[in-house]
Amino acid sequence: VDILGNLAGGFAAALSPVNLLMAVLGAFLGTVVGVLPGLGPTAAIAILFPLTTVLPPVPAIIMLAAIYYGAMYGGSTTAILLNIPGEVASVPTCWDGYPLAQQGRGGPALGVAALGSFFAGMLGVVALTFFAPFLADQALRFGPPEYFALMVLAFTVVTSLSGSSLARGIAVALVGYLLSLVGQGPSTAEPRFTFGYTNLYGGLDLIALIVGLFAISEVFLGIEEARAAIAQKIRNVFPSRADLRESVPAILRGTGIGFFLGLLPGCAPSVTTFLAYDAEKKVAKVPERFGKGALEGVAAPEAANNATSSAGFIPLMGLGIPASPPLALLLGGLTVYGLTPGPLLFQRNPDFVWTVIASLYIGNVILLVLNLPLIGIWVRITRIPYGVLGTLILLLCFLGAYSVRNSMFDVGVSLVFGLVGYTLRKYYWPLAPLVLSFILGPLLEKYLIQSLSMSGGSPLIFFQRGLSVALLLGAAALLCLSLWLMRPTVGRVETAAVAEGADIS
Amino acid sequence: MVAGAVVGDDTFPLIVGAALVLLGAYVLLLARWPEARVLFARGEDRRRLLSSGGALVAYSVLTPYLGYTLATLAVSTALYFAMGGYRLWIALLAGAATTGALHLAFRVWLLQPLPTGLLGI
Repeated sequence: VDILGNLAGGFAAALSPVNLLMAVLGAFLGTVVGVLPGLGPTAAIAILFPLTTVLPPVPAIIMLAAIYYGAMYGGSTTAILLNIPGEVASVPTCWDGYPLAQQGRGGPALGVAALGSFFAGMLGVVALTFFAPFLADQALRFGPPEYFALMVLAFTVVTSLSGSSLARGIAVALVGYLLSLVGQGPSTAEPRFTFGYTNLYGGLDLIALIVGLFAISEVFLGIEEARAAIAQKIRNVFPSRADLRESVPAILRGTGIGFFLGLLPGCAPSVTTFLAYDAEKKVAKVPERFGKGALEGVAAPEAANNATSSAGFIPLMGLGIPASPPLALLLGGLTVYGLTPGPLLFQRNPDFVWTVIASLYIGNVILLVLNLPLIGIWVRITRIPYGVLGTLILLLCFLGAYSVRNSMFDVGVSLVFGLVGYTLRKYYWPLAPLVLSFILGPLLEKYLIQSLSMSGGSPLIFFQRGLSVALLLGAAALLCLSLWLMRPTVGRVETAAVAEGADIS
Repeated sequence: MVAGAVVGDDTFPLIVGAALVLLGAYVLLLARWPEARVLFARGEDRRRLLSSGGALVAYSVLTPYLGYTLATLAVSTALYFAMGGYRLWIALLAGAATTGALHLAFRVWLLQPLPTGLLGI
């Protein structure tokens, strides 16, 4: 594969005025939503998804990816200045970021967070450039049984998306599979689970589901929490030389931990940020400084967060496996545009893939250039009353749910799932496994039926082919490894989520 | 399932159903859920929550009849009033401004085919 040639082509397309504009707009809007108290990357993508549905696939996915990066940057701003994490992954940033802000060092903390995020993000994109095509190339040798085993491997991601209870995660994932069954059956195209209701013949719409579960429920929760923010003035965001000396090694360690663990499909940022913070505390000469305003306590988890998220693009683009809730939504974005996530994406839509990869480089640079000088604006945005924000978000949700199929039925579906999402989140049930299995369900079913048809109905086919067996063993190993890695952090994730009201979905 | 076929549209639902039954048995007999105290909204918050939810339901019911623009004006005003707690005339002004912006962005600029309602607007 001519990687550099393809990447150059990708840059040529990504730097076209429309695509560049969408990257800037996505980064800007993502940051705007990300800085809003309590809203993380998952909510940002769900809320802004509707805006992208009116665009062609390439600019739409560029915008979605930029929204994701922007929301990640924005999330660190609220974590540091307001002590409000948008998602569980941002909780460790609060522990030292907020004390730093209270000491009047919020500016350097934000600067270090931005630099760490930039470095880690770029490293992830470089690895994506060289590793994902290789992964996709290997995966091209797959037949239906191997693809089925790959989908089983993807299911191990549920462990990291489940928050504190694996049983809850699996239950929600199975409900996602059930919902994916509604519509026409893959073998006969006969209506299935539609109860004679013609609106259900086409199945449930993914965007309506996402908008309801994540965006509408977010507004309902926000109304209850009456989110109001009092932010302070930030004068200088550029860290001093001493600050950099303190934080650069932490950024490197956080990037390493985040990146290598992020390559595992079952390891989400909510795990790696806690591990990076712990590692930093362990190597520190004075660990007592942590929790009271240690710059390394901001640098390491922020770098780990971005490294994991960027590394997550490798299994997403190469195999179609999303490692975190926002990536599950991005995967949904691909399917909405009729693009098959996974190895075939590189073969069938190389222009698309390389343009998106190039746009990730550009998006990282845009965010660094955009965010540090505009920090005053982001701080002011946190003061917008929730009554205004909530109204705007709900009106956008309506448009998002309606505009994919021009269907009022989909609007109704999004309202129902808004209520479902609100109730589940009140009881700390994770939502991301539902979306993941809703997306993967039809693929899993297709490959299962193809494989069983090949073997005359015998499930032994999955254990008679080397690659399939390797993937199934890999899935089992990943499941064990993820559970083992999560063990020390899972209790803290639950405690942090309950205490801070952060999102475990 | 098609006659003579070994697998069909009922194969995967059967597997998902069996997995749900197994999980249900595990939950009934073995599972220990993490305990979390859940507080639902009360008083003013509950009123705002219910009125906002009600406004959304009304939005989906009214839009086919009033059309997107009129329904958005009504619902955005109601949401600013109910969720934001603004006075009615401020909510109406904010609602009109929001509706105008959405109309321009989605109808005029992006040419979205939004419902026109009985009045054709």
